[in-house]
Amino acid sequence: MNFDWRAEDHELKKRVLAVFDAEALSALGSLEDCDSGALRHITRRFLERLGPTDYLRLGVGPEGSAQTLHLIAAQEELAGISRSLFISIEVTARLFGGLLKGFCNSSTAAEIAQSVAGGGTIGAVGVTEPPRVDGEEHAAAFSRVRDSVIASADKDFVTNAPIADWIAVVLDEGGDKTICLVRPTQEGVTVGPRMKTLGYRGLAVSSLTLRNVEVPQELVFGPFPESTLMDFLRQTEDLILSAASVGLMNTVIAKAKAHAQSHRRGGKPIFAHQEVRFKLAEMLTLYQSSQLLLFRAGWMISTGKEERKTLVRCAKVFASEAAEKVAGMAMQILSGHGYLSGNPIEQAYRDAKYSAISGTTSERARMEIADDVLARYG
Amino acid sequence: MDFELTPEQLLFKDQVLKFAKKEIAPRVQEHDLREEFDWQSWKKLGEFGILGLHFPEELGGGGADVMTSVLAAEALGEAGVDGGLTLSYGAHTYLCADTIFRHGTDEQRRMYIPKLASGEWVGCMGLTEPGAGSDVASLRTRAVRAGDYWVLNGSKMFITNGAIADVAVIYAKTDPSSGHAGISAFVVEKGTPGFTVSRSLHKMGVRTSPTSELVFQDCKIPAQNLLGIEGNGFMMAMQTVEWDRSALLAPFLGAVSFLLERCSRYAKQREQFGRPIAYFQAVKHKLADMKIFLEAARSLVYRIAWCKDQGRPLNHLEAAVAKLFIGDWSLNPTNDAVSLMGGYGYCHEYDVERVFRDSRLAPIGGGTSDVQKVLISRLM
Repeated sequence: MNFDWRAEDHELKKRVLAVFDAEALSALGSLEDCDSGALRHITRRFLERLGPTDYLRLGVGPEGSAQTLHLIAAQEELAGISRSLFISIEVTARLFGGLLKGFCNSSTAAEIAQSVAGGGTIGAVGVTEPPRVDGEEHAAAFSRVRDSVIASADKDFVTNAPIADWIAVVLDEGGDKTICLVRPTQEGVTVGPRMKTLGYRGLAVSSLTLRNVEVPQELVFGPFPESTLMDFLRQTEDLILSAASVGLMNTVIAKAKAHAQSHRRGGKPIFAHQEVRFKLAEMLTLYQSSQLLLFRAGWMISTGKEERKTLVRCAKVFASEAAEKVAGMAMQILSGHGYLSGNPIEQAYRDAKYSAISGTTSERARMEIADDVLARYG
Repeated sequence: MDFELTPEQLLFKDQVLKFAKKEIAPRVQEHDLREEFDWQSWKKLGEFGILGLHFPEELGGGGADVMTSVLAAEALGEAGVDGGLTLSYGAHTYLCADTIFRHGTDEQRRMYIPKLASGEWVGCMGLTEPGAGSDVASLRTRAVRAGDYWVLNGSKMFITNGAIADVAVIYAKTDPSSGHAGISAFVVEKGTPGFTVSRSLHKMGVRTSPTSELVFQDCKIPAQNLLGIEGNGFMMAMQTVEWDRSALLAPFLGAVSFLLERCSRYAKQREQFGRPIAYFQAVKHKLADMKIFLEAARSLVYRIAWCKDQGRPLNHLEAAVAKLFIGDWSLNPTNDAVSLMGGYGYCHEYDVERVFRDSRLAPIGGGTSDVQKVLISRLM
């Protein structure tokens, strides 16, 4: 057992942090106000800078799982700098890149994967489908013709779609799942308008429509058993969201503490009041317990432990719900200041909800955790 | 970072689990209801080597590392051993014996550790007073040097094992004007004139562990019974705090594992509306929350054990975070377990209500949750 990071973990953290110098950080400050064009520019710029650090190559695809804990060391740092940028980068490198590396076996896919790892490509993954109204026909269609596939589909909440160079669309093929790589500019592909969201406003999210899109065979992969593909996507996404939550808590605690030490009430810093410092103590406790749980889940994946899937769900539920509590307590400490639009605490308060509802929702994760527990105690 | 336990540690934990399930757990309910210390189980703990696990073999110990000791304590809780017996074990081994081991002279070690490690003698620690608990600096028990003796006057409150202890580590003020630096520790043996157990306290939980008030009235102890250096008592007490917040917390972890197993089996067997209640989402969510708590708490406790094994002397922030988390957050899973088992959960014979009562001590004993918050906010 060892609770210290290794020298190479510290080195990775250092390399990633070095990307974010003062000038870079100032660009990230206005991320929430950027249109898609500016977001594409900023995201590309940071991907290009991260390319040489190796960050984008780590833990990619099922074969990269041994590096998961090493990667988490740096993920928390990046999530603490800009949560929106972090999610955008992770969707590109770990979700899109992971599908390419683990499921897409062709020279074209390998070229795209190489570009992703070097920071030259922004990727997106379309999985979620919009809810169907009773009686409404589904537009989804999938047919294989001689050397291509003709696909129609509706996808919702596709992160990075408005700024992506490539989108991996997960389609149903006779109960299994098939991946089609498409360009957003391709005929029949429509990227919807950017969605307005409660939080993560520096993230470009939209719907995606495919209508009779012809995808050449070399960009079609599968079919794969649904559980294989979806387990990979959900585990990857849940870890990313857990790291985002832990990064959020770290940032929020630092800001709330700084505020409590610099603002005075009754002739002394508000930090001196127990109702403030006790909140900070609870916040730190939630942060550290979430952090260690995430690290342990990452270690379980890295070492292939049997219980890894359940631990990832535990980390996701705990960290995302802890982040909501921590952001709420920080808002209370900053009071009016924290409530102002644009204040980092106000942003964090809005962002915190995202992790609990995306990936595996807290409710579904709890059901899966319980199923595992019940199976263990026959 | 590496969370792997060694095969030896895992094997020993499993051995403790099997031993405790067979030898101790069947006796728990009877003693809890009678509010009675279980001497037979105590003897068995000593014979198995648990009471002196981390002491050197030449002093009758097992030579184990801190992590192994924590795993053993966790296994006791997991086996269904009550919080009373594990509390008595913790106070005996870590708060009393370990303090003598760390700060005593070779002679004191040889005199006390083998007897404490085997369970032949029972130990306790007296720090808290009727008017001073978390605020250690305001202790009122006085120790005054008189030639070859120290004379103790004062009283100690909520002393685990007080009524059954053969030897006590007692903290007293030797220099009232020096605050923390005026506190010293002493070894006081049972039967010393002027040392009496004034009353035993009845409690909501951990009922098999005797809790008493100790009184010192012109109690003369030999000068050589001073433990360590005069004025170092506060530092010694702070070192025991880490045990309080690792090995003594571990049984709570184990108890939640015990509840998880108990509730899972119950949920699969108990049928309502034509099917096992394990099918109901509300029941599943309770089980999931127990599991999430358990996994979140586990690393916090193991981290302190690891820090101690690395020889890192004081890890107050890590210890306080673990104590606060387990103290405050363990109340939900234990409450959920009672709810999940309904009327059965409320009855003595199903153990769940005992764990619920026992766990209520977690945010109180060894420094209240509020004190942990003061510490964390000071150190963060």
